[in-house]
Amino acid sequence: MKTNNTGNDIRMWTPATAAMVLVMLAGLGVMVYRLISGLGASTHLNDNFPWGIWLAVDVLGGVAMAAGGFIIASMVYLFNMKKYKPITRPAILTAFIGYLLAIVAIIMDIGQPHRIWHPAVMWQIRSVMWVVAIHVMLYTTTLALEFSPMLFERLGWHGAVKTVQKIMVPVVLFGALLSVLHQSSLGAVFLIVPGKLSPFWYNSKLPFLFLVSAVMMGLSMVSLETILSARIFRHPVDMGIFTGLARALAGVALFYFVLKMYFLVTGPGVAAVFSGSMEANMYLIEMALSVILPLALLLGTKMKESLSGLLFIDVLVIAGVLINRLNVGIFGLYRHNATNGQTYFPSWMEFAVTFALIALAFFIFKMAARHLPLLSSETASEH
Amino acid sequence: MAKTANSVLVDMTRCIGCRGCQIACKAWNERSARKTVMYGNFTNPTDLNSDCFTNVRFVENGNGKTPVWSFVKNQCLHCQDPSCASVCPVAAFRKSDEGPVTYDYERCIGCRYCMLACPFEVPKYEWEKLLPAVQKCTFCAERIQDGLLPSCIKTCPTKTMFFGKREDVVAEAKRRIASAPGKYVNHVYGIEEAGGTSWLYISSVPFGELGFNMDVPKVQLPGLTWSYISSIPAVIGVVLVAGVGSWVVTRRNEVKEKEGGKEDRP
Amino acid sequence: MTNHWIDFKNADVILIMGSNAAENHPISFQWITEAKDRGATIISVDPRFTRTSSKADIYAPLRSGTDIAFMGGMINYILRNNLYQKEYVRLYTNASFLVNKEFQSPGKLDGIFSGYDAEARKYNKTAWAFQAGPDGVVKKDPTLTDPSCVFQLLKKHYARYTPDLVSSITGTPKDALLKVYEAFASTGRKDRVGTVLYAMGLTQHTVGTQNIVAMAITQLLLGNVGMAGGGINALRGESNVQGSTDQGLLFHILPGYLPVPSADLADLKAYIEKNTPKTKEPMSANWWGNRPKYITSYLKAIYGSKATKENDFGYAWLPKTDPGMNASWIMLFDQMLQGKFKGFFAWGQNPACSSTNANKTRKALAKLDWMVNVNLFDNETASFWRGPGVKPAEVKTEVFLLPCVSSVEKEGSITNSGRWAQWRYKAIEPLGKALPDAEIINELQGRVRKLYAKGGAYPDPILNLDWNYGPGKKVDITLVAREINGTWMQDKEIKDAKTGAVTPYKKGTQVPGFALLQDDGTTSSGNWIYCNSYADKGNMMVRRKKDDPTGLGLFPEWAWAWPVNRRIIYNRASVDEYGNPWDPKRPVIKWDPAASEGKGGWVGDVPDGAWPPLKTADGKANPASKLPFIMKPAGVSSLFGPGLNDGPFPEHYEPLECPIEKNPMSKAHRVNPAAKLFYAEGKGKPEDIFASGSASYPIIATTYRVTEHWQTGVMTRHEPWLLEMVPQMFIEMSEELAAKKGVRNGDRVRVSSARGEVMAAAVVTARFKPFQVMGSTVHQVGMPWCFGWQYPEDGSGGDSSNLLTPTVGDANTMIPETKAFMVNVEKA
Ligand SMILES: Nc1nc2c(c(=O)[nH]1)N[C@H]1C(S)=C(S)[C@@H](COP(=O)(O)OP(=O)(O)OC[C@H]3O[C@@H](n4cnc5c(=O)[nH]c(N)nc54)[C@H](O)[C@@H]3O)O[C@H]1N2
Ligand SMILES: Nc1nc2c(c(=O)[nH]1)N[C@H]1C(S)=C(S)[C@@H](COP(=O)(O)OP(=O)(O)OC[C@H]3O[C@@H](n4cnc5c(=O)[nH]c(N)nc54)[C@H](O)[C@@H]3O)O[C@H]1N2
Ligand code: SF4
Ligand code: SF4
Ligand code: SF4
Ligand code: SF4
Ligand code: SF4
Ligand SMILES: [Mo]
Repeated sequence: MKTNNTGNDIRMWTPATAAMVLVMLAGLGVMVYRLISGLGASTHLNDNFPWGIWLAVDVLGGVAMAAGGFIIASMVYLFNMKKYKPITRPAILTAFIGYLLAIVAIIMDIGQPHRIWHPAVMWQIRSVMWVVAIHVMLYTTTLALEFSPMLFERLGWHGAVKTVQKIMVPVVLFGALLSVLHQSSLGAVFLIVPGKLSPFWYNSKLPFLFLVSAVMMGLSMVSLETILSARIFRHPVDMGIFTGLARALAGVALFYFVLKMYFLVTGPGVAAVFSGSMEANMYLIEMALSVILPLALLLGTKMKESLSGLLFIDVLVIAGVLINRLNVGIFGLYRHNATNGQTYFPSWMEFAVTFALIALAFFIFKMAARHLPLLSSETASEH
Repeated sequence: MAKTANSVLVDMTRCIGCRGCQIACKAWNERSARKTVMYGNFTNPTDLNSDCFTNVRFVENGNGKTPVWSFVKNQCLHCQDPSCASVCPVAAFRKSDEGPVTYDYERCIGCRYCMLACPFEVPKYEWEKLLPAVQKCTFCAERIQDGLLPSCIKTCPTKTMFFGKREDVVAEAKRRIASAPGKYVNHVYGIEEAGGTSWLYISSVPFGELGFNMDVPKVQLPGLTWSYISSIPAVIGVVLVAGVGSWVVTRRNEVKEKEGGKEDRP
Repeated sequence: MTNHWIDFKNADVILIMGSNAAENHPISFQWITEAKDRGATIISVDPRFTRTSSKADIYAPLRSGTDIAFMGGMINYILRNNLYQKEYVRLYTNASFLVNKEFQSPGKLDGIFSGYDAEARKYNKTAWAFQAGPDGVVKKDPTLTDPSCVFQLLKKHYARYTPDLVSSITGTPKDALLKVYEAFASTGRKDRVGTVLYAMGLTQHTVGTQNIVAMAITQLLLGNVGMAGGGINALRGESNVQGSTDQGLLFHILPGYLPVPSADLADLKAYIEKNTPKTKEPMSANWWGNRPKYITSYLKAIYGSKATKENDFGYAWLPKTDPGMNASWIMLFDQMLQGKFKGFFAWGQNPACSSTNANKTRKALAKLDWMVNVNLFDNETASFWRGPGVKPAEVKTEVFLLPCVSSVEKEGSITNSGRWAQWRYKAIEPLGKALPDAEIINELQGRVRKLYAKGGAYPDPILNLDWNYGPGKKVDITLVAREINGTWMQDKEIKDAKTGAVTPYKKGTQVPGFALLQDDGTTSSGNWIYCNSYADKGNMMVRRKKDDPTGLGLFPEWAWAWPVNRRIIYNRASVDEYGNPWDPKRPVIKWDPAASEGKGGWVGDVPDGAWPPLKTADGKANPASKLPFIMKPAGVSSLFGPGLNDGPFPEHYEPLECPIEKNPMSKAHRVNPAAKLFYAEGKGKPEDIFASGSASYPIIATTYRVTEHWQTGVMTRHEPWLLEMVPQMFIEMSEELAAKKGVRNGDRVRVSSARGEVMAAAVVTARFKPFQVMGSTVHQVGMPWCFGWQYPEDGSGGDSSNLLTPTVGDANTMIPETKAFMVNVEKA
């Protein structure tokens, strides 16, 4: 075995990290406040807007961001695309962080945090939410398993690493299965509100659209973080990985675009997009960011050759899909929910928690990069 | 749905807007009151809330010389196949055989999916509490079990609400419409809406003008999510077959390639 | 009410005018809805479209204060189109009576009747009398054609109320007017019956009494009085207001509608002489001829053994009014402001908010030395000294607040509008030191008696009181009920005039019915009309049997109705001369020749006297019979009523404050000529100022109730559920007026009158519409009067709309004119 390739050389305190810690501390304070004084005191949620940004951004968005984990793991372990092996660990770590933080967000968001375990024993198989809950539990466990070699390696438990690696293929397969179901289930959550969710987003294949857009998001996330860590942590990375990811992204985005167009034409119609309504504008922004611009840039030659170009595209897709989740979770429901005058704009505390969770994600990633063998011994040996 | 399920017909032509029902409900369910203002309409509170399981909406219309003033008693419709119950991850909401859609606080995790899912915006949350409950009309399930009428129905001076088994209630609604031509609009709200509700309405004013949700699908909404959930086994099958298949295939290729000493494909 | 609540279900047409039954008497709508289910037509006549109007088949708006014009038009319509119930009018009304030839009506005298004294604002009524023959019997013309007969006078008087003129006075669109007339006049048919439901919308006017007379004339013409589903029905107010009026709450009546003696009636004989009507009509029962028995039994009830034949049964001890004295509500506070009172018991009331011209009332309270407030809660009256604009240091009035228990914490009877006395039991134990009102009175009496026992100015009326309602401080309320019914004060044998049979009655037993009350001191009865309510066999008011043998909802064994459990009074007018019901579908009573072993008898409700029908089966007049309107001296009802202060027929006058300069019916008399005016140009107290036809106050206003609050709100403003529904003082106004004033829904609005101002939240609604009155557009607004400055504590409720209302009352009853006055409205 080679030496652990941890990033001990990464500087602990940078201004960005300090800022992150501040944001995290503020968020932590708010979370404590939330837990002792309740949702009404800390959020602007109300009877007409039972769900806010914690759900739309932290949960829906966070989970979509985590899709990279199962995509890369599947590519490597199931489709045997060895090329991507170097980025498996960061991808899995991202997913793991994503899910852990989504769980934190859920604990903050549900009215009875201490009953988070109820779905495990109180079954209601007709409920998509129950399906989601079960998936989250199983998949987080799965991710923990997928992630464990990093820890074991760091601890020097090589036997354990071996054992886990032996069962990695079925574990990854199980994880992929859960992810497919889970990503789509989050879309399925909204199947029950045909009258409420704007037709720009509501359609019977909402689960599938969620899945496909999550794949886009996952690919972009992996690409983004790899580029970033390559730059920040000075990890050497094969350019082929990026172009491969970009190609995959282009394919999925094209597919997604076709799907979205199909549902636009068969749904509200193309003309509706230019009606100038809030929904139409949000739809336009979402589409522009998540598919139209990225596709245009990807199909053009220049951009995908430069890391900065790819980075930009990744940011676009991530923002676009996030806006999609916001659109489904908040904006698409807004008109219906606000008919009687009640409105929703998140409280500063909601923002604080959301930002804190994002900061926490970055922070954990950085700590992991610093202290764990993010680039596994295997990968290190091969490159 | 059980044949014996209780059901109610709200005949709005009989309602005088006295709001005795609103008070009776508060009394029975021991609900408190909120601070309100006079804002030009008598509907107060303006919406249901966790302290108000039923309110009466005052709707003024009539474009001609004589005004038309309608009073709409508003509460949970106790859907035949309720979205709130189907979406609840812990089965805190349930449709009972007797008709009421009941809530079990001890199970509830507070995800508020029920609130989102209800096509009539009925379930409300105790936002101000640390450990809130979802609140809505209980159909006075305990009273019904003891052979009593729901509190609001008992109070109503004009018998606006007709209580009975659902098939009798539907028949009564149709009988009333047929026996007084021109009096009612020819529609029983709740026979088809959301796939059928236990509380039904008849009216002399078109329902759309009274603030009723006319876009509510005429199907049982839980079917929409069930079609997804019921497809899960198939998805599992497909993913497993695809995953295992691809693994086997790529594995074999890899072995071959290794033997052939070839490079990985990019 | 002549009828009762459940009886509404029997009507074919229900005219709800000056009442908002759905909001103020929601339970009445149980029966109105049943009538609707049977196909009845509901009519709502109200300045604004109410919750009642929402359930009406016909809605007619009218400008506040113009009901006589509206009803005059109805009477005209009925007469002109021959829609009256001819036999009924001929047999049971005074239509055929000949009136003095010199009698002249407002059509001739520009708005007044003969005999008006402008200086005194009073009528000399001699010209209003009937022509009598040498036998003293009133002259009649059964053909109803004599120009002096009531029928012809009526016709002539109301011929002036043409639909066009009525419409331009009332502002009611002509088509709506005619629709109402047509629908209601249809009940002139024998097989159709209509009822009128009225309340404060009709009474709180300077012409309040005449409003009701107009209703009565209409109902008599249509033959609807005495009928099931008919009658004239006041939907009365406070839950026991009927009971308290029966028991002599008003200043001018003793229990049982016996007049309060005035000081010039020196002895019982003079009192009886003055107050006992006489008649020469052979067929009249003239029931008030029994007055001597009732007043004597009353005196026996209050003074017991101290009341003897020798001392006039203690008549001298009765409190008396000065001759011509008016001690009504408005007068009391007027005198109070002038410092005429030392003390005041505000017992179960809140005049600081309920009284018209509340600013004046609040000022008057400060003139007192002391005030005792007996109430469930502190209220704006008890706390007037710390109200808005009052400096506590400057108020000398000492206020005592005595806590009393609420209706559910005590036992006793409540008499509803349908005259049903229903017994209620105590539901819960009282809180704290609160006492039932009766025990507070009991103790007060005991202490006053003790003081008088030591001496005093005139101790006899107190010391001679027969007062024993239980041991100690407790009051056994059933002893009060027994006394109200009456007992035999001595053993007595009563001989039946016809059969000669003798029935013995034992001292100390209950008198079974008022027919047995005596004028010789052998019986007592605290209230003759309640005689029969508490029999030896038990308390009739506790009965709760749900049998309904007639199917008309009379429920004869549910509680007890005065008189003698009669559910529909004047029911002998519901049958023809032979005792057969006009409407066989709804027989209230019916003569059954086979009853009483072939002697014949009435079946159904308790009849207004057991006398046989006017005619025998062979068509001959039956001398044993009596006419059905037994409380009237002539035995028939009055289309022409010479007894009131302001005329024998209702005539339209404008409210004290109105939007037009002249009364369209009369150039000279804008306001009821017999109404007492407190203020005239330059004369009178500034508090009593009014402003009619003034550009400063161009908008008509009215006040009313809401379902959600009770009266001044003392009992409801503490109740969060009710306050949640109606949290604040509001003003309803038309979209047109709101647009003119730049007011939008929910805006704060300043409402002002010549006397005061209130702030209110605007309710802009199509349910109020501007009126077209005499060719110009006038606006009307409406406000509740259920708020006061004290609660809710943050002041968000606002104050009483009585800060705006005028000092003026009806010419007969002095009920304040709080339903029609003038204001201005500005966005605050
Ligand atoms: N909820 C509730 N119920 C009550 C009471 C209460 O305070 N709250 N109070 C009780 C008492 S004490 C009483 S006396 C009764 C009173 O019962 P109502 O007389 O029904 O009460 P109001 O609301 O004062 O007036 C009735 C209607 O008269 C209309 N009106 C105003 N001016 C005129 C007019 O000139 N002509 C006609 N035709 N209508 C006019 C008003 O718009 C109003 O709708 O209610 C009793 N019931
Ligand atoms: N502008 C305007 N003014 C009006 C009217 C209107 O229509 N418009 N309506 C008029 C009419 S019809 C009426 S009846 C009057 C009412 O005028 P009020 O009688 O002065 O007003 P309420 O608010 O009914 O006051 C009754 C009081 O009795 C108390 N109370 C309740 N139960 C008991 C009890 O058992 N014992 C005792 N001792 N007290 C008790 C209550 O707390 C309350 O304070 O207002 C009149 N004023
Ligand atoms: S109306 Fe809403 S809350 Fe009531 S049963 Fe139906 S879905 Fe559930
Ligand atoms: S909030 Fe409670 S009742 Fe509603 S869906 Fe969630 S767990 Fe069920
Ligand atoms: S049925 Fe019971 S809980 Fe529902 S509205 Fe009526 S009183 Fe309230
Ligand atoms: S109690 Fe009856 S009449 Fe009154 S508002 Fe309720 S439903 Fe209508
Ligand atoms: S307030 Fe009381 S008396 Fe009046 S209708 Fe309601 S229950 Fe009957
Ligand atoms: Mo009253």
